[in-house]
Amino acid sequence: MFQKIADKFDFSIFLPVLLLMGAGLVAIYSSTYNHPTASGNFQKQVYFALISLFVFFFFYLLPHKSYRILAPYAYGFSLILLIGVIFLGKTVYGAKSWIHVGPIGFQPSEFAKIGLILFLGYWLTYKKRNINNIKDVGIALLIGLVPVGLILMEPDLGTAIVYLIITFTMIFWSGLNLFAFFVVVSPVVVIFASFFGTASLVIAMLLILIALFFFRRDLFTSITIVVVNLASAFIFDYMIKFLKPHQQKRIETFINPNADPLGAGYNALQAKVAIGSGGIFGKGFLHGSQTQLRFIPEQWTDFIYCVIGEEFGFWGSVIIISLFMIIFLRILNILPSVKDKFSNIVLVGILTLLFTHFSINIGMNLGITPVMGLPLPFLSYGGSSLIVDMALVGIAMNIYNNRRQYT
Amino acid sequence: MDTSFGSKDRRKILLVIITVFFAISVFQLFNMQILERVVYTEKSTENSIKKITLKPPRGIFFDRDYRVLVSNKPSYTLQIIPANYNTKVSPLLERVLGMEPNSISKILAHNSGYSNFIPRRIKRNIDFKIVAWIEENKEQFPGVEYVIEMQRDYSFGVNASHLFGYTREINTRTLKKMKGIYSLGDYIGIKGIEKTYEDYLRGEKGYRLVIVNSEQRIISSYENGLKDKKPQKGFDLVLTINSEAQKVAEKKFKGKKGSLVAIDPKTGEILAFVSAPQYDLSEFASVVSREVIRKLSKDKDKPLFDRATMSIYPPGSTIKMLAAIVGLNEGLITKHTTVNCKGGYQFGNRFFRCHGVHGYTDVVKAIEKSCNTFFYKLILDIGLDRWAYYCKLFGFGKKTGIDLSEESRGIVPSSDYYNRVYGKNKWGRGNLISLGIGQGELSVTTLQLAQYAALLANYGKTVKPHVVKGYLTRNSQEFIPFNFDSVNVNIDRKYFDIVRWGMYKVVNGDGTARGIKLPDIKIAGKTGTSQNPHGKDHALFVAFAPYDNPKIAIAVMVENVGFGSSFAAPIARDVIKAYLQSQSEIDNQKILSSIN
Repeated sequence: MFQKIADKFDFSIFLPVLLLMGAGLVAIYSSTYNHPTASGNFQKQVYFALISLFVFFFFYLLPHKSYRILAPYAYGFSLILLIGVIFLGKTVYGAKSWIHVGPIGFQPSEFAKIGLILFLGYWLTYKKRNINNIKDVGIALLIGLVPVGLILMEPDLGTAIVYLIITFTMIFWSGLNLFAFFVVVSPVVVIFASFFGTASLVIAMLLILIALFFFRRDLFTSITIVVVNLASAFIFDYMIKFLKPHQQKRIETFINPNADPLGAGYNALQAKVAIGSGGIFGKGFLHGSQTQLRFIPEQWTDFIYCVIGEEFGFWGSVIIISLFMIIFLRILNILPSVKDKFSNIVLVGILTLLFTHFSINIGMNLGITPVMGLPLPFLSYGGSSLIVDMALVGIAMNIYNNRRQYT
Repeated sequence: MDTSFGSKDRRKILLVIITVFFAISVFQLFNMQILERVVYTEKSTENSIKKITLKPPRGIFFDRDYRVLVSNKPSYTLQIIPANYNTKVSPLLERVLGMEPNSISKILAHNSGYSNFIPRRIKRNIDFKIVAWIEENKEQFPGVEYVIEMQRDYSFGVNASHLFGYTREINTRTLKKMKGIYSLGDYIGIKGIEKTYEDYLRGEKGYRLVIVNSEQRIISSYENGLKDKKPQKGFDLVLTINSEAQKVAEKKFKGKKGSLVAIDPKTGEILAFVSAPQYDLSEFASVVSREVIRKLSKDKDKPLFDRATMSIYPPGSTIKMLAAIVGLNEGLITKHTTVNCKGGYQFGNRFFRCHGVHGYTDVVKAIEKSCNTFFYKLILDIGLDRWAYYCKLFGFGKKTGIDLSEESRGIVPSSDYYNRVYGKNKWGRGNLISLGIGQGELSVTTLQLAQYAALLANYGKTVKPHVVKGYLTRNSQEFIPFNFDSVNVNIDRKYFDIVRWGMYKVVNGDGTARGIKLPDIKIAGKTGTSQNPHGKDHALFVAFAPYDNPKIAIAVMVENVGFGSSFAAPIARDVIKAYLQSQSEIDNQKILSSIN
């Protein structure tokens, strides 16, 4: 009986997700406990959780074929929303990322993720697509880069990076040869390295030279790639000067959070202090001094993980990332059994999205990646991201349910 | 690599990325929460636990009979936190507080190197009406606050400004040297007893631990205050001063310039100590003292200058007893040696005058009548360097070592000194002659004269002069005495007897101070006139009493008034009288209480 159900409904994804949502509610309760302005957030998040469960079942139960049909419309609608937010958006924390319809506010860049994953999957698996054809790669990149450009205009650097990574991973999954993939990705790596100063830029360029040596392409191609990489780093460096000050600051902050402990680096530092001081077993529910005395502003959003770290310690923290690992490994496990290419690559897109959010968020809480303002899936406070994440889980489990079917 | 859709290799790469990140995260968590936990816990504690310093009250001063001289009282202090302060309200505040324009910005500029969140004192002892007014208009004055602080209370009838001294906000230089003990805004004694006994008076700071949130608002006490430390009040000092004698001395010096030091000759305890004009210590307590000090230091009468220990002048005839003792001790004269005073002394082609014609004069008469002729001859016999030796023996030309911060050593001329000042062989015995009557280069302080009087009173034995007897322990109020070195000139008692008899006759015979004779108290003394090239001479008087069993030795100097007997001697008499009367009253009380 159970096996029959388990064949259609993947508990090894659904249960960890439920547990993570529960942990999120606990952490939100703690971080907003007795808070003068945010004490209502726990209750709101409970509503969001209930709505997101409905959304999950809606997407889980939606006819399998409808996703492919809906994909172009979802993408188109997403682009309209992303353009709309630039004109109609409300500025929150220096970024225009919210649209308000009556009493409900939402972030188009969250919902557009579904559109991107579905449409990129649709396009990459359309008939006999050859990804190793330069035109096809170009179009695939374009599908990803259009929303990236729109999101950068808000500007929301973190989300733009998530979109880039989703695009790259899905292109990679569809079989792009490694050299081409290298050509596409290396400029992005170089740009990132250049954030950290000349030394890391030099190291990145050296790595690229080594890689080029192993690819054994002709001299002309190799030199062109080196020049393009260098040029992109310099152009980006130049463009950073046009970034909003808060974004420049975020980059500086990541590079050295100790430099300005009461300024922008404050959150990153306080988050580390919260987690580190949690010790093995934590300070106990509602007993984390960093959390209860509000040393981390808006902790219930991007820094929710350090509530767990402080109040539940090493074991609590490890359990949370282990639950995520179960979900990720389970999706990886399912992949070979998903026969339909579209479903298969959509599943990879969902995995990439969840993992990117997870790794960047946990990374910034632990001080190993920059502070990029990305929520932790299922735990962070916020309706848009929870509903979208649950929709994606719904799609993933729909794909699992229909894994044996070809469309 | 396989370029087919969703190949095994590509799945492996995703698997590796995910697993590696998981490993890194767990490793980092292990690192932070287990290995470096202590570091982060410390930081988290620092974050939320604030230490509020509690300042102890300073120790207070009692006189020798445990009457309060200086105490503490609570008062309102207005302070400004520069970070929150709006300089636009300065003119209004200055007007309300009665301060000079721009004085607030000067105060704020003074310690500008320190954190803007440390409050700066603007004015102490402000009126409650002003406090109420500021409280009512709080929004207009961001960063302006008032606190209750303990401040010195001088309302006990004794001012003794140069003796007590004062405290002041610690300056930046001292602060750097004394880090850990003091912090910005602390008061530190910088003059008088407040300075020398700073370590006893200051007390120990305490603290209160409180839990604050990220806005630094106090949420609650930390561990119910169990780890708090109470401030320890400074030790109360028992001074050697006698209030009655001190009050009389201060009163007698009103409107005069000069100094007075009275000592118990047996113990070296200073009974009264005046440098006039004085300054008002209560002014120091109420205003941020920088302004007051600036005003006082411009005063032409130099009230900040401690005349008792710092002002030096020739001792005049008061030095004659020393010359007599040297003559007797060195066998240059005996009790019966006489000199015929014909109104002066012929030395080479110069005639040194006496102020009378005293005829055949022995040493006692020479002191009684202050005969110069006798001492002109004697000093020539003593010689310069022997004279210098004895002057030093009796405490001149060196610091007495009093427990007050500043003291001048005075001048005792010797051959070396004259060679240095006039050049070798450019001075002669003529210079020596005027030294015999206490004029010329020999310069002393009133404190040294008082110690000299004490040595005469007590046959060459006394204790270093001091103003503090000891302190009281915090809990049991037990008296712990301080110890001071004794002083002994080791000269035969019989020579003192001769000189003391001369001093007795100065007051009780036909001497220069017979005007201050008292029926019930036998005073022995000696007048002096200190020649002053800049104006009228200074009047001097040294004395001790009672003659048979001296309980008080005293030196009085009044500036620019002329001859000693008319000005200095009556002051000495009144202080002696006040002291001995208060002692006999206390003795009577003791007798009464022992009977009961």
